[in-house]
Amino acid sequence: MTALLEVSELTLCFGGLTAVDAVSFTVEKGSITAVIGPNGAGKTSLFNVITAQYQASAGRILVEGATIERQWGRAETLRAGGFTLLAGLLTALALHCQSLWSAFLHDWNSLTKFAWGTGLTLAWEEFLRTGTWPFAIGAAVAAAACWQHWHSQRRTPDLVHRHGIARTFQNIRLFRRMSCLENILIPRDTRAGYGRLAAALRLPWQRQREAAEISAAMALLELVGLTAAAHLPAGSLPYGAQRHLEIARALSSKPRLLLLDEPAAGMNESESADLMRLIRGIRATGTTILLIEHDMQVVMGISDSIVVLDHGEKIAAGTPAEIRAHPAVIAAYLGETVEGQP
Amino acid sequence: MNASHLMAGSPWQRLARDWRSWAVLIIVAWPAIDLALPTDLRIGALLPNILAFAFLALGIHVVTGATGLLHLGAAAFVAIGAFAFAISTTTAFPFQLGFWPGLGVAIAAGTSAGVLLGLPTTRLRGDYLAIATLGFGEIVVDLLKNLDVITKGTQTLGDLPKPWLGVTLPNIVSTANAWIWWHWLYLAFIAVAVWLLHNLQNSQIGRAWIAVREDELAARAMGIPVARVKLGAFTLGSALCATGGALYACLLGNSSDPTNYDFMLSVMGISMVILGGMGSLTGALVGAMVIGGFNVIILDKMTRWLGETDSMLLSLSNWQYLIFGLMLVLMMRFRPAGVVPERRTARGSR
Repeated sequence: MTALLEVSELTLCFGGLTAVDAVSFTVEKGSITAVIGPNGAGKTSLFNVITAQYQASAGRILVEGATIERQWGRAETLRAGGFTLLAGLLTALALHCQSLWSAFLHDWNSLTKFAWGTGLTLAWEEFLRTGTWPFAIGAAVAAAACWQHWHSQRRTPDLVHRHGIARTFQNIRLFRRMSCLENILIPRDTRAGYGRLAAALRLPWQRQREAAEISAAMALLELVGLTAAAHLPAGSLPYGAQRHLEIARALSSKPRLLLLDEPAAGMNESESADLMRLIRGIRATGTTILLIEHDMQVVMGISDSIVVLDHGEKIAAGTPAEIRAHPAVIAAYLGETVEGQP
Repeated sequence: MNASHLMAGSPWQRLARDWRSWAVLIIVAWPAIDLALPTDLRIGALLPNILAFAFLALGIHVVTGATGLLHLGAAAFVAIGAFAFAISTTTAFPFQLGFWPGLGVAIAAGTSAGVLLGLPTTRLRGDYLAIATLGFGEIVVDLLKNLDVITKGTQTLGDLPKPWLGVTLPNIVSTANAWIWWHWLYLAFIAVAVWLLHNLQNSQIGRAWIAVREDELAARAMGIPVARVKLGAFTLGSALCATGGALYACLLGNSSDPTNYDFMLSVMGISMVILGGMGSLTGALVGAMVIGGFNVIILDKMTRWLGETDSMLLSLSNWQYLIFGLMLVLMMRFRPAGVVPERRTARGSR
């Protein structure tokens, strides 16, 4: 069985600083895996690379054996070709618009009937005479822009999300002025596409879809106990509820893999217990979970396996029991051993 | 936050309790009220002008209010709409399309210009986008002024067709009470635009706009194709501005001097949206009515009452921007969310 997520030799550098250094690990389907490590160990950077907020400097990330990247297809060829042609044409038209216009109008005045054929022919001839170079230059610039754009868009966060990897953030990033319900709807919307006409005219199928989405979102709000707050702005909720809402938002697109970045941060013991129950519940529905957490009680309580990072490197991996006894982990958490120092 | 008291009762009772229905009623019935007023208090003939500029507010509302892209070149799209309408309909050129095809051309021109400007610029962040759109605004005015073979520059393209609704609307200036028809026609245009925008805002598209405004990074991480959403909003905003431009040119009967579509007009549009309440559709309309009303009606009437004067201090148009600026300062101090603050609730879910 291939692992759900396979990270191999992943490296992320910011200039001279290596935030993630050749980290490899796998996340089995249906498991809860925790990433732990001291502050600045590169845990959140790792999340940011997996979700394509940052581009990896080296290494591979496979999801069920495949990389998540846009593929060049027919649509891309058509779009880039059309854009290039159009840009060339517009450059040529724009540079000589006055002479083209004069050629087009030829000797027309408001008293005579306009000869469309003559006008268009003359304009075309003028275009052929003056437009070749501007066309070539405009098209070349446009083609270069397309090329550059394509390379910057191979792997983007929204693409990763659409491939079933959703996340929460260490410092909560809800859409604060939108209602809780709308927050949940956002990730679901991305699957519906953005058909403008149906939405603008509020066509029947749009209405049906909307109603179905809202009832699904309400069910999810119920799961995290926020039904009563559905129409309140997300920013007005208490802290713990915002954490729960953020998890619900990440879940709403039914991801294969859920990345939780310190979900228990700032929670008291009973809130953490609630959270653990919620996370186990999510796993029971078949979602695989990868989480960063500092609260060892939570980590040891729910994870199936643990990856330990320090200074960007993986120093250990294994089951909670193995990690608890691992000397390198103890060293990283309790400080370097004093061996060899005076 | 909770508006449940508004939701009780029959639909008619609900409508009657909403101040917006009364506002709409007054505006639609304004011709009756206006004709009852003494002659020098009548303002009806000035209303279509305000309605045309309300499109500018709607356009900026979509781009800046809802999607959070600071757009300082909206006037350029008004100009593009006005000139596209003028070029395609004027008797000075051979196209001589009628009102409706001309309006279509204007909207198409605004949309294409929006895509062209939006493709490179909507990828820019905050201030850079503002600067790029500002520059674009200046470029367009300059181009329109200097491409005089096509645009007739500051001489303006004249002799544009009047709206055709089975019959051609009479001239608003020379025919008594002709403004009533213009008023209703332009109101109908606004109504259609508002209906479409309202639907969009309560759909996945509107939610994506707001999400991008609230937190772009989170929006992207939640799967929203941010560049596409921004480009869509920008294009829609441009099309709305262009519609306003075409309606304005049609009302005026000529394309108007390109320099009238300068930066000040963009600022005026942004002020409408800020005054009304960023992100609120009703707010954008209220802002357009207040600022448009101030610019068009109050200044016009006051100037007439004060009479011709040589005094700098008594000539109101010199005070225009001062009053205007003061209004915005007071606004920011006492009601920063605008006259009608944004309130988001998902439709059909209560």
